[in-house]
Amino acid sequence: MCDVMDAGKGPDRLDLLLSDYFRPEAATELPRRIATAAQESRAVLERLESKLAVEATTRGVSRVAVGTAARPANAAARRLVEQAREEIHEYLRGQRAFFQVPVDLTTVPDFQRRVLAATGHIPFGEGRAYAWVASRIGHPRAVRAVGTALGRNPVPLILPCHRVWRSDGSVGGYIFGAAVKDRLAALERTTPVLEGCTSTRIVCRVGCIHGRHMRPDNRVVFASVEDARSVGYRPCKRCRPAA
Amino acid sequence: MDAERGLMAKVARGDQAAFAELAQRYSGKLMAVAGRLLGSRADAEDAVQRAFIHCFASAGSYDARWAVSTWLYRILTNVCVDELRRRATRNARDERSAGVLAAASSNHHPPAAYLDLHRALERVPREARVLLALRYVDGLSYGELARIRGISINTVKSQLARGKSRLRAELGKRGADHV
Repeated sequence: MCDVMDAGKGPDRLDLLLSDYFRPEAATELPRRIATAAQESRAVLERLESKLAVEATTRGVSRVAVGTAARPANAAARRLVEQAREEIHEYLRGQRAFFQVPVDLTTVPDFQRRVLAATGHIPFGEGRAYAWVASRIGHPRAVRAVGTALGRNPVPLILPCHRVWRSDGSVGGYIFGAAVKDRLAALERTTPVLEGCTSTRIVCRVGCIHGRHMRPDNRVVFASVEDARSVGYRPCKRCRPAA
Repeated sequence: MDAERGLMAKVARGDQAAFAELAQRYSGKLMAVAGRLLGSRADAEDAVQRAFIHCFASAGSYDARWAVSTWLYRILTNVCVDELRRRATRNARDERSAGVLAAASSNHHPPAAYLDLHRALERVPREARVLLALRYVDGLSYGELARIRGISINTVKSQLARGKSRLRAELGKRGADHV
């Protein structure tokens, strides 16, 4: 005590330095930090969305990539492109936890199609290792081939190759860059999957058409369909969250 | 009460000082609820922060018929319940893949006196556990609980009663004498 502050002398430089260092953070910092954090994560994904090109055939979406898209061949394809764009828009804003638009993988080789199908089974908001996908398709040693197949995913975001990480927990590569992959994981961690409407007592998957008509103060989140049933909610017949 | 509603109106206009006051006023209670629900302090802090982000972003849709605390509890419970969902699927997977990853809940060590209660609570169905936490952390009324979870008052009562009887049965099984 006497070393740093002699009585009568008043605070010296070290005192000022220490009190400055340990000064509690002003409470006004919190909202600014929260607002900038929210904006930053949105900025990365919005920039991605503005550059996306979507192509479709009459069977489904055939390509999602950064660049320019060929014009849709007919009206059915154009409708699918529009649907995919809207779903991607909602997904990147945390308003959608599943994709309904069909995908067209007819030009994709068999091995890659099986890899993509296995990836489609990873639940929203979770991650699996490349090795998990490899063993799931019955080729446990083909880890690198799985990585290559996912790297050539023609419809990223819709088929969730971003949910496959390396076994050591690092993100690994991604078509749109590792930073975007990281952001997508954070986005999915903060987007709930099941929401119920308090006025209708119906529970839907987030992104269902009914959810769009729901007033924000009527919205409650559930952890499972059984939980929702236990307090008197029934699953939606349109998006079928129980299936 | 009206002062708090005025505060929310300021937050909706983007007033950062009002938001800071709101955060200061409620973060303690929200931390307590989130801590009881999620177990670990780090997860609770994360959940409260996310709840405040959501609150700041959606303050415009706040309806003055709601008490501010009820509205905040609804937002926080929505965040926590989704976190519990994620944890449930993760634990199920860990059990299947024979413990490649450590279970997420194992980093929390409650005091020994509460260990029995802590374990018994994990056996209570999730919705009842959420209601118990809200009820006992802040002494919320049945009406408020019903509003927060979007269920009827009678469902609140039956869920709480069922949760407590399950707790008694679990504690009785462990031979605890204080039930």
